[in-house]
Amino acid sequence: MLSNTILLHPASYFIIGAFLLPLFSRVRIAQKVILLAVPLLAFWQIHYLPESFGICHFMGFELTFGRVDKLTYVFLHVFTLMALIGAIYCLHVKETGHHIAAFLYVAGSLGTTLAGDYLTIFIFWELMAFASVFLIWYRKKKRSIEAGYRYLLVHTVGGLILLAGIFLRYKNCHDLTFTRILAEGATTADYLIMIGFMLNAAVPPIHAWLPDAYPEATVAGAVFMCAFTTKTAVYVLARGFPGFEMLAILGAIMTLYGVGYAVIENDARRILAYHIVSQVGYMVCGIGIGTAMAVNGACAHAYAHILYKALLFMGVGAVLEMTGKSKLNELGGLYKTMPVALFFTVIGGIAISGFPLTSGFISKSMIIAAAGVDHRVIIMLMLSLAAVGTFLSVGIKLPYFIWFGKDSGVKGKEAPWNMNLAMAIAAFMCIFLGVYPEYLYKMLPFACDYHPYSAYHISETLQILGFTGLGFYLMVNYLHPDPKSNLDVDWFYRKGALVFMWCARKPISIANDWVGEVYRTVGMRFTMLVAKALSWFDWEGIDWAVDGSAKGVVKGGDQIRALQTGKIQQYVGGAVAALMIVLLVIVFL
Amino acid sequence: MAKVLGYLQAHANVLKWIFFAFLLGTLVFDFMIERHHAHFWGDSIIGFWSLFTLFGCLGMIVFCKGLSHVWLAQPEDFYDREDSDNVE
Repeated sequence: MLSNTILLHPASYFIIGAFLLPLFSRVRIAQKVILLAVPLLAFWQIHYLPESFGICHFMGFELTFGRVDKLTYVFLHVFTLMALIGAIYCLHVKETGHHIAAFLYVAGSLGTTLAGDYLTIFIFWELMAFASVFLIWYRKKKRSIEAGYRYLLVHTVGGLILLAGIFLRYKNCHDLTFTRILAEGATTADYLIMIGFMLNAAVPPIHAWLPDAYPEATVAGAVFMCAFTTKTAVYVLARGFPGFEMLAILGAIMTLYGVGYAVIENDARRILAYHIVSQVGYMVCGIGIGTAMAVNGACAHAYAHILYKALLFMGVGAVLEMTGKSKLNELGGLYKTMPVALFFTVIGGIAISGFPLTSGFISKSMIIAAAGVDHRVIIMLMLSLAAVGTFLSVGIKLPYFIWFGKDSGVKGKEAPWNMNLAMAIAAFMCIFLGVYPEYLYKMLPFACDYHPYSAYHISETLQILGFTGLGFYLMVNYLHPDPKSNLDVDWFYRKGALVFMWCARKPISIANDWVGEVYRTVGMRFTMLVAKALSWFDWEGIDWAVDGSAKGVVKGGDQIRALQTGKIQQYVGGAVAALMIVLLVIVFL
Repeated sequence: MAKVLGYLQAHANVLKWIFFAFLLGTLVFDFMIERHHAHFWGDSIIGFWSLFTLFGCLGMIVFCKGLSHVWLAQPEDFYDREDSDNVE
């Protein structure tokens, strides 16, 4: 009975797969079969999920591991499809640990999506953070290790804020069921939960972990990461917080913020990472508007976005894998040696820009139209301007400076077959959804009578795309990439950490030395005196004492000394850690 | 495919004029279509999105690049370097 319930849950396939993978680390072919079979099985199995399953009681709480409705289904569908594409893309990766991390990461994402209560969400939420950090660390470069630690710290803080919200909420209403929260009656607890979710959705000013970490991840790891963390956050926001005005405004700001950085950044994967912020902004904005059409648009956009953003990361990742470079100023003229990667990346680029007959056209416009129907003119214009920046930065600038532009002399060769196959599947889906939008619209949580292919919408899109092209043509020299990176709000904690480390090295370390010195001169003598006195007392005074107790006291004194000198450093270390957390909380709140 | 792209690059001038013709085409198309339900005032102006895009695009490039030049852009080892300074 229990095993049946466990096997119902798609996340358990990925967890079992993660345990099986190391057993076959010598048998590569078996490992590859597992890598493909698990996502395929999950993709098939999500169609047969009952509405509710896996309810169990734990320490007085009722945990719901499976809650399925249309909103869950659309996200499960794209997550398992993306897991399959990602698994194909990383078939050639040799490290078993990388595959395990990817599987556990997907399991965390699926578990969160299916969870019906906050505790279950929290468990899978943390699994996601801790599994995905390995996808950064497996790059095995110093920068990646450091970025991974920052990623982990930020997500730990986000997780703690979420947990604080969950506790407060339980205190308030003794109910942990995860359902829609109404904007009118929202309490501090609900806002804390929302901030925890927003951190994973990379809403500025708590977004800097994303463009910091994703460009440092492994080639295949970035493909996984761009799909799951932010879109799981979009799901939980869509489930819990539709109609929060704050989200509509922050979402609209996000779209422009991300795209602004995408225009000026130099590293191709950082451009794409910033562009996730922009694209997730559309979804957050749609959720904030909160009408049926807007939430539908957010879900449709999440579905479409996962596929074309993964396609872009795969295309740029192929270049990085084959040439070892991802900075635009070091690339150029690659169309001669990597035309296949160019072809797929451009499909991703036109899809993200919303060309007619691609998936972006049928999803992004839904959110913009929802803003229009709701008479939010400023938000609508902001979203439209972000669409201009999208085509400018990802649709034109990125492919132009990698594959055309000046010839950099970098010689690539085409990516392995599995990478190209994964790109082909994603590219097919981008076009397929654009040509046959009903496939996606059928899955959306609310009934949908939106028709993207109206003459006016086509005209509007063609003008936006055409004149963005003109803008690029006029400013191409001004847009030339520089080998620079741009400051963002991670400055606060990266510099804050340096100040903090300085404090730890200088004043605290001096104080530590001083205390140590005082101890050596005063404390040690005192201990020795006590020990001597006690030993005298033992040896000379009383003969009924147990044999050897004097020696014991001397030994005890030694131990205390060792313990204390060690402890001072530990205390300082503890204080350092506590201060760090306080600092982070101040920065983030 | 590389050959086709090479050929196209060699004839960039022709592409340029096709592109300009396309821009003109979008404007002409905007004259012809029906406007059923305008969401706001801009939807009833012919060519509104062309102007919006052109100025928005140029404005965005100038603003972002400018901000990057005067403030945001730092050497790529900005954080690493500060770190090593402190270590001495």
